[in-house]
Amino acid sequence: MLKEILRLAFSVSTFASTFRLACPLLFGSMGGCYNSASGCANLSYEAVMLYSCFFSVLGSYISGSPWVGLLFGMGIGIFISIIFGTMSLVFHSNMIIAAIALNSTAWAVTTLLMVIIFGVRGTVYNERIVSFKPVHFKWMENLGIFNKIFNDNVILVYIAFCLVIIAYIVMYHTPFGLRIRGIGQNEKAAQTAGVDVNKYRWISLILMGAFTGISGTFLTLSGISMFVENMPAGKGFLTMISITIGRFNPLLIFLICLLFGYSQALVLVLGTLSLPTQIIAMIPYVAVIIVLFIDGLKKFKGVADIEV
Amino acid sequence: MPNNEKRKLFNFFPKKLSADLEKKDKRNILIFKYTTSLILFVVAGALLVWMQDESPIEAVKGIWKGSFGSLTAFGNTLRWAAPSILTGAAAIVAFKAGVNNLGIEGQVAIGGFVAGILGVFFEFPPVVHILFILICATLSGLLWSVIPAILRLFFKVDEFITTMMMNYVANYLTQYLVQQVLAGGLDNWGYVNMASTPTINGSAYLPDFIPDTTATLAVPVAFLISFAIAFLYRYTVEGYELKQVGENLKFAKAGGVKVVQQYLIIFLLSGAIAGLCGGIEVLGTYHKFNNGFAANMGWEGISIARIAELNPVGLIFVGFIWGVLKAGSMQMERMVGVNRLTVQIVEYMFVLFISIDYEGIYMRHKDRKNKKAYLESHKEASNNA
Repeated sequence: MLKEILRLAFSVSTFASTFRLACPLLFGSMGGCYNSASGCANLSYEAVMLYSCFFSVLGSYISGSPWVGLLFGMGIGIFISIIFGTMSLVFHSNMIIAAIALNSTAWAVTTLLMVIIFGVRGTVYNERIVSFKPVHFKWMENLGIFNKIFNDNVILVYIAFCLVIIAYIVMYHTPFGLRIRGIGQNEKAAQTAGVDVNKYRWISLILMGAFTGISGTFLTLSGISMFVENMPAGKGFLTMISITIGRFNPLLIFLICLLFGYSQALVLVLGTLSLPTQIIAMIPYVAVIIVLFIDGLKKFKGVADIEV
Repeated sequence: MPNNEKRKLFNFFPKKLSADLEKKDKRNILIFKYTTSLILFVVAGALLVWMQDESPIEAVKGIWKGSFGSLTAFGNTLRWAAPSILTGAAAIVAFKAGVNNLGIEGQVAIGGFVAGILGVFFEFPPVVHILFILICATLSGLLWSVIPAILRLFFKVDEFITTMMMNYVANYLTQYLVQQVLAGGLDNWGYVNMASTPTINGSAYLPDFIPDTTATLAVPVAFLISFAIAFLYRYTVEGYELKQVGENLKFAKAGGVKVVQQYLIIFLLSGAIAGLCGGIEVLGTYHKFNNGFAANMGWEGISIARIAELNPVGLIFVGFIWGVLKAGSMQMERMVGVNRLTVQIVEYMFVLFISIDYEGIYMRHKDRKNKKAYLESHKEASNNA
């Protein structure tokens, strides 16, 4: 039994699905790390993802092209993040509350729209909804195991991995990243240095909306071509948590996303062995707590000082 | 790596009106706040109903009938108000002292699970059984919040991540225990045997508060707890110290408050109330533990606490209104063709509207007016000269 588990856990198909399952988290967190780094306590990833799931399906349904679906998804993502920004940056309402309100309405609004537009509840499935087609690279065919893991994926998967490097460069090697980090560490100092704090917060917020919109599109249009009620089911929160644990460093966030993706792949693969899937599904969350605990061991000096 | 250890990610504490405001301004701001958000609330609700080709007045009638129309309907209202008030109380206790407990959902689930198990496998005389279960549920909620509290106090791990992770863990753990351990795994066909624990013994049923309705003793318990919290914060030294920890930590430290100890107490108290809420829900309404019955209860509690501006007495009113909307929305769906999700949307829109910083808007407006008046008077003076 154990041998079987280990064989499946390190099999090629597990790794292949790891990369696919990590993608929605990657898009969201690569776009959102700037927003979190600039000091916005943004919890609204779940809402943005759910809205973009629905609207990408709608776009694909109307036009028959996944690219229009992607545009719809990004557009609605930007729109929701603008609502969040209007509430939090213009009207100065409490960010956590604005996000909770958005998250809680998202499920209801999408379900309502589903009933109005498609006339069904639960699942939207229609042959007019078209997904992205897998891309086949000829030159990868000779690479053996890499071919099996990386080849024949949706184009968005490759974009996601390029995005990690781009995000890292933008965060640590451009003036934009420097200013964002500066605002996050000390808002007043950045303002004194002549940085327009609100402008950078808005830019980062819109980036977050656009990229989380892509991750919503990825959930629906990467093969299954359907929309299910409350589709992200916590992936938005996972995105936010991986950003926070990775301390806004895109490479660290990438590792955390892979951890989440791997454990989700394990749930899929080990489910065939009739093992309790709930215990496997618990792995990433427990792993996060353990990682944080080990990280905290370094700082252990008796009782921690509480600061506000 | 940027040094972000010192920055607190979430600051939940509602902005208090500044102390140096004039009385007139204070009154104006409050009026401005509630009228604007109520008007926006009504307009949004009417628009949403109108978009579904129904009359908003009929929808309101449906809500009224479903929440106050008969004794049964009123019982339903109270039944839905009780868990809202309890989760709100858990949120208030935590957030009033600056603890970001986002794990209310998990604590509720664990409390409910323990109640469901103890209700099935034990047989005691009625009152003793209920008390025993509720105490155990409270303790389990408390124990579930010990891990984030310890991580926060000793290892400086931000509690909002750990509590949220514990939500997922609680969800999966209870699911596992119900489906795999209690039901003995999947059957030969690969299907799940049970999605909930067996129905609890009759001795553990919570008695009705209003006879022949769904309102159980949960209602007075919820009221009592929110009054107890109000009493704790208003009239006891302990409560004053707890409040200081949230409002002004430096002052509290300088004043000799044992900050760490108070922090722990708050965390555990919040978890305990959430656990109690889970236990009461299972004993009073469902009579068994359903997987995922606690979904969204935590977020709801936090929103309610925020609308009530972390005031335990205000919490009762907000929780009651929440119950009215919940009980009424089902009747509304039956009477008028409006989907009951509309009510949920409108509810959270109200949360959104009321969280706007009205004081800032008002003061900016006033400043601009003063400036204009000053410039005009200046102009007149220069013209006269």
